[in-house]
Formats: sequence, C-alpha cells, structure tokens
Amino acid sequence: MSWLRAALEWQSRAVVGRHLRVYLRNWYTSFLPPALEPLTMLLAFGAGLGGYVASLTWHGRPVDYMTYVAPGLLAYATFMTAIFQSLFGAFIRMRYQKTWEGQLTTQVELAHVVWGEVLWAGLLATMYAVIVSLVLVGLQIAGVLSLDLRWLPALWPASFVAACGFGALGLLFTAIVPTIDHMNLPVFLVVLPMGMLSSTYFPLEHPVLVALNLANPLHHLCQAFRGVLIGGPAAGHLAGALLLSALLLAVLVPLDLRLLRRRVLGD
Amino acid sequence: MPTLLDARGLVKHLGGRRVVDGVDLACESAQIVGLLGPNGAGKTTTLRMLYGFLRPDAGSIHVNGVELGRDLVRAKRAIGVCTQDDTFDGDFTVEQNLSIAAHYFRPRPTDLGRRVAELMERFDLVGYARDKPETLSGGYRRRLMIARALVHRPRLLFLDEPTTGLDPQARMGVWDLVDGLRSEGLGIILTTHYMDEAERLSDALAVLARGRVVARGTAKTVLGDLVGEHVVVIDAAQGAAIPGWLSARGRGEPASVLGVWHLPVSGEELAEFARAFPALRYEVRGPTLDDLFLKLSLQP
Repeated sequence: MSWLRAALEWQSRAVVGRHLRVYLRNWYTSFLPPALEPLTMLLAFGAGLGGYVASLTWHGRPVDYMTYVAPGLLAYATFMTAIFQSLFGAFIRMRYQKTWEGQLTTQVELAHVVWGEVLWAGLLATMYAVIVSLVLVGLQIAGVLSLDLRWLPALWPASFVAACGFGALGLLFTAIVPTIDHMNLPVFLVVLPMGMLSSTYFPLEHPVLVALNLANPLHHLCQAFRGVLIGGPAAGHLAGALLLSALLLAVLVPLDLRLLRRRVLGD
Repeated sequence: MPTLLDARGLVKHLGGRRVVDGVDLACESAQIVGLLGPNGAGKTTTLRMLYGFLRPDAGSIHVNGVELGRDLVRAKRAIGVCTQDDTFDGDFTVEQNLSIAAHYFRPRPTDLGRRVAELMERFDLVGYARDKPETLSGGYRRRLMIARALVHRPRLLFLDEPTTGLDPQARMGVWDLVDGLRSEGLGIILTTHYMDEAERLSDALAVLARGRVVARGTAKTVLGDLVGEHVVVIDAAQGAAIPGWLSARGRGEPASVLGVWHLPVSGEELAEFARAFPALRYEVRGPTLDDLFLKLSLQP
C-alpha cells in the first residue's frame, strides 16, 4: 500500500504546491473561466433552453429549469475542471514541458507526481466549485435562482473527493494516449457522454440511462447537490458519489502508476 | 568516509532484453568517473538505475553509505542529477527554477536565498534571472540545468551528456565548471560521446558494451587494453592486401572512416606490418577513445 501512503507524504504536497504557485501567479486569468462559465451556461441552458421547458418536477414539486440546472452546473464544473486538468494539463507537463522528469530527479518519486496531479485536480476543481458557488449566490440575490444556500459550503469537501476520483480517471487517459491529438478519443467517447448524459442538464428517465448512471459518480454528485440546494433526499446520492470516487481512486491510482511507470520511466 | 557511489552487480531487463548485465561502478569524493559506450551499450539505463529512476532487477547501489533500494528518499538527498534533455520548469523564471527545485528536498537547503544567489553568480546566470529558461542559449540552459542539480548541495552529481549540442566555447565553459566542482570535493559520474571531454575531465573511465563493463581505469589503460598501442591510418584504396594480412592473424575488417582505415596494432604487430608492406604510405598515431568506439561498434 505504499502507493496510498505516498498521497500523504510531503513530496505530493510539494508537487501540489508547485501547481498552486503557477495557478495563483495567473489568478486574474485563472479565476475568469469558472466565474464566466456558469453564467454563460445558465444563460444558454436556463434562460435560453429553459424558456421552452414549461416546468420540471423535482421530488413531486415543480421547479423552474434555471433552479434545476444550477446544482448540476456546480457538479459539472467539478467534473470538467478535474478531468481536463489531469488530462491536458498533466499530459503537457509530462510530455512537452518535461516537468515530471525534472521533479523525478529530486526526492519526488513517480507515486508523488501521480498523487500530486490527482490532488491538484481535486484542489483546483474545488476552487472552481467555490467560485461557481459564489456566482450562484450572486444570482440568488439577484432573484434569478430559488436555491436553499444554507448548506452550500458543505458541498465543497464532496467536490474535492469526487474531483480526486475524476482526476485519477483523467490520468488514466494521460497514461495511455500516444499524442495530444488522441485526446479527442477519451474526450468524445468517455468524458462528454459521462458529463452530458448524467443528470446534469435534464432528469434521467430512460431506463438505460438510469441504469448506466448508477455507476456514474457525477450523476450522484449532481443529485446530491440538488438534494441539498433545492431540497430533497441527498444522503444516498452523496454516499454514492463518495464511494464511487473512492473506488475510482483505489482502482485507478495504482493502475495509473503502473502505466505511467512504463511510459515515463520506461520500466 | 564511505565511498560516494558503490554499485555492484547491476542487472536490468527492459522489453525482455538484458540491457544491463552485471555492472559494477564506484565513485569517490573529488573524482570524475566517465561512463562511456556506443549507443545501446546500456549507459542511460545504468545511469537511470544509479540515480533512482529505475529499480535494478539484481544488484545493489549505495549512495554515501545509504542503500538506494532500502531508503531511496534519503539516498536521493545526496544526489544531484543533470539529465540529457532540458527538464527545467518552463512555468518559472531562471531564478525561480532554482528555488522551486529546492522545495523538492528535505531537509530543505539552509539559507536558500543565499544559495540561489551564489549559484546564479557562479553559473553566470544573474543577467537572466527573470527570463524564462527557454529563452536562454544552449550553453546557458546547460548551466541552469547543472546549477539546479546543485541547489540542495549534493555530494554526488550525475551529468548525462552535459555538453551535447553546445558550441566549443560553451563546452569549455561547462568543462571549467565541472572541473571546479570536482576540486570542491563533489563526486561526478559523467556520460559523454565526446572523447576529448571524457579524456580531459575523467579521473577514471568505465566502458560499457552490450550491458557489461568491458574496460575500466584511466583513459590510457583502457585504450591500451581495448584498442592497442598504436593505430595505423591508411587510405583504404591502397591497402587491398591488408584484409588478408588481418585475416591471417584472426582479425576482422578494420574500422573505416570516409575511405580511411584505422587499424589498431600492438608494437609487435606494427613491426610486422612495416615488414609486410614496405611500399605503402601510412600514418601511425596513438589510440584515442574514438578508436575504442569504432572497435566496439564493429564487434557483434
């Protein structure tokens, strides 16, 4: 279980610290996407598409589409931020910038680099989730949304755990795709279906989608966030999201490590 | 005082092939050991095992008395690595590259600000402190790579082809720096394809071929053992009878470079050669490490 112990060792934190330092140096550009994306999405899906949706039923009561989609956007931001960071960001650092190789010439080992990337995906996605949360608060004050925001900060730790799981999934593709051009394959075959066909933007009714999404941590994250922010059962979905994320970490981090050992070290 | 590097019986298989086959290597303080060999000889794999990138399938590596396999992190505290490719962090400036590298070591280097300033000064990087590393010339990139490998004050430095691609002036600049590091007591393992570099800098050489150390010692000893005392240089067009003369002595084709044969011989063989070919015009010179590489590359 040395791969698990590496998550808690100082080298993994040093790797995360390096990524955080780069991110904060460009904070004015880094904070814009998470702030603007939910606004755009709410305008497009909420005000635009939502205008054509008469009403939605959430646990027996009607909710307007903007309010329905807002928690989904929070979960979707967590998912996309984590997975794109560990997919493109990590690939660029591994392949083009050779940042990993530079780190490996020090007391940092590959397990720390991998955990550093996973934890950074988790941290970055959580920071994005916080920014999206602030946008939702602003829209609530403006009267656009009707959410129950009392427990909003309690969702951030769940975002972190889920994002670490998504980060481990992104790293799997980083480990196996031959070039950056091949990233289209996991993006269109896995990431977008996983993101768009969960309960992010619409309620799941088709039995096949319902069955498939039982194993999708993003679906459970969306439903848990909805349960907390709109009102309804959340505990089951929250447990589902956390357990599936833990499972992703337990299965994928050792696998990522094995594949990346071959790819990066040639071993 | 333990030997800085003591590697014994290193074996490594990659892709089902035995790439390193029982290599022993040692390095003392204030010593430069040149690790030589043609492409595919196992140099890079050996080096990668020595600085902890790869785990050997068999054998042991002790760095400053600490066994790599038992306590890699502690052993790596004493190691500085300058890889063949530039692996500096492109998201940071030249100066920040040194300080960020120091964060990957525990215990942290003491008085880091002063250490970074000292290295910037010594490696003539002060004028580029706020520049991104990719804007530097090849020579200054190498300087940055070596400076970064030294930020935590290691005792053993690995230099993997440190002057590849540099112009002569930049190469000599790096040589001066490496020579200075040796005089300060650093142990250095150097791989290079430049024979003059290996001869000038190394106190001892280890020559690898097909994953084994085929010769070790000073440049002179290694050349004497593996190449011979003299090298006869002769235009191949004139020497139609030479392959037959070599074949009669159980030797294969001589190494040919641009239509010129380079034929290593002992003193006795040189005398026989002179008697056998009195009318030929040829040059006799001392052996170099280039001859050694040519010889090794001709061996099956």
